[in-house]
Amino acid sequence: MAVQIPEDRLKIARLSRISIVDVLLWALRIGVLGVVIAGTIGTLINGRYGWTQWVDFVVFGLTLGSIYAQIALGYTMVYGVLRLINFAHGDFMMSGAFSAFFVANAFYRSGFLESHPVPALLCILITSMIVSTAVALLAERFAYRPFRRVVGLAPLICAIGVSFFLQQTFRGMFGSSIRAYPDPSWQRATISFLGIEVQAVELLVIGLAVLFMIGLYLIVQYTKMGKAMRAVAEDGDAAALMGIDVDKVVVFTFMLGGAMAGIAGVFYCFVYKQVYFYMGFTPGIKAFGAAVLGGIGSIPGAVLGGFFLGLVESVGPALFLDGLGIPGPYQLRDVIAFTLLIMVLIFRPNGILGERLGKKRA
Amino acid sequence: MPYLEVDDLHVGYGQIAALKGVSLSVEKGQLVTLVGANGAGKTTLLRTISGLLRPSRGSVNFDGQRIDAMEAHKIAGTGLVQVPEGRRIFGRLTVSENLELGAFTRNDKAEIMADKERMMTVFPRLKERFRQLAGTLSGGEQQMVATARALMARPKALLMDEPTMGLSPIMVEQVFDTIQTIHAQGVTILLVEQNALMALSVADYGYVLESGHIVLEGQGDALVDDERVRHAYLG
Repeated sequence: MAVQIPEDRLKIARLSRISIVDVLLWALRIGVLGVVIAGTIGTLINGRYGWTQWVDFVVFGLTLGSIYAQIALGYTMVYGVLRLINFAHGDFMMSGAFSAFFVANAFYRSGFLESHPVPALLCILITSMIVSTAVALLAERFAYRPFRRVVGLAPLICAIGVSFFLQQTFRGMFGSSIRAYPDPSWQRATISFLGIEVQAVELLVIGLAVLFMIGLYLIVQYTKMGKAMRAVAEDGDAAALMGIDVDKVVVFTFMLGGAMAGIAGVFYCFVYKQVYFYMGFTPGIKAFGAAVLGGIGSIPGAVLGGFFLGLVESVGPALFLDGLGIPGPYQLRDVIAFTLLIMVLIFRPNGILGERLGKKRA
Repeated sequence: MPYLEVDDLHVGYGQIAALKGVSLSVEKGQLVTLVGANGAGKTTLLRTISGLLRPSRGSVNFDGQRIDAMEAHKIAGTGLVQVPEGRRIFGRLTVSENLELGAFTRNDKAEIMADKERMMTVFPRLKERFRQLAGTLSGGEQQMVATARALMARPKALLMDEPTMGLSPIMVEQVFDTIQTIHAQGVTILLVEQNALMALSVADYGYVLESGHIVLEGQGDALVDDERVRHAYLG
């Protein structure tokens, strides 16, 4: 079969295959890279930020990242099992966080949140987890299951419908005003370490998020249901032939995803200190971006993507944009986050750890 | 009543009929072979028996129970287990995890562990690959994983869909050796093969499927010698 083609003929063939789109894409790559490098050099020469501030940025980035990672896990697990992008996932998070807000508020007014932070926090987390999980399971049973065997865009549009439904339900029940989340003194405490002041609540969020993610990893890796979930993600029919009830596995997946979203919702409130019916949208879409960034379907990918996005969002404005003399770089945080998402979709649609799309099951 | 009985089975994909009234039966402890060309409907038949496809007419009975309306995972739970076409092992899981999932319907942990050890003696090659991702194995080794995975369920009957597909001649012989060993241990087997000569010569009974119909049946050796079979499948 091997036919020898002269080297110079091959070169011409390759050159003639370079299209205008390739050239534009390379220009885009080089352009973005140039802006990033120029901005970074500018910022560092300027020296406007001391290293305590950089540590601040990084810790905040890790905090945001741990929240994104938790939400992204829900996207990636559901995608893995059902090949469905669950656009209502951010609203599962909102449902839990919003419900837990009432518990938190009651505790705050009675002084319980101030005097007994640990049991209070536990109650808030459990409330949020239960509500998010319940909402996820109801959505799966009544909205997604009828679409299970439907191909095309219908399931995706159904997910967007569930998202609207949840937002408007909460808006209808509790109004569209933005409510302030209780802010007990222990949440404002700072910890000094080697001359750096770090917010205690940030460390708490990172620590607990990592703990919950390790828990999730152990469940997926070592329990019977976790193994069944990975099997279904790879080949649902073959899993059914082994006696695995695919419906049960799907319910289990939504349960895990919903619980993680509930926890993430509480943490998101700790950071931004407010709740409203639309609060799930932005973190939801960013976490989806994080899941794609890491390679959708991949659990380690979602965690990696979440932390990466959090860090870029937090460190990026100061590092890349400040040096270019852009005023108010922090307002461009979301621009950086979504530029990153678009760049990933253009240049590496499979994500950092994603499987090759061509290798998908036949 | 036969152990596994398929009666007047009709299955279609949309408007296209794939099986047009297939009837066959397998007695307990028998090794029955079903041969036929590509597109004859062999895989459709096995997928329907396993509950992945629904028949439009006809019935499937196994071990005295009607199973054609049961869900696939429940059918596997009755002890009728399939080794699917193309092996369909879980490539991103380890060999060990694949075997554990084969025993998904069982709850006797100690026995499952013992069976896993036993598979290592049946398939020594898998012992070295135990912690490896199943997707990194060669075709022959993957077939061993698929077979071992099905055996982990302690099946009463096995459905095997082209277990020799894409394997080297040496591996093909090994697969047939394994099939005969499993059969000798009392497991009922319905084997679907393109490799008609070998498959029929080990079988107690054989069926020939052609565009959705059973066109010929008989004792395995009788079919091997049949002029029409020789002409159509053996060249």
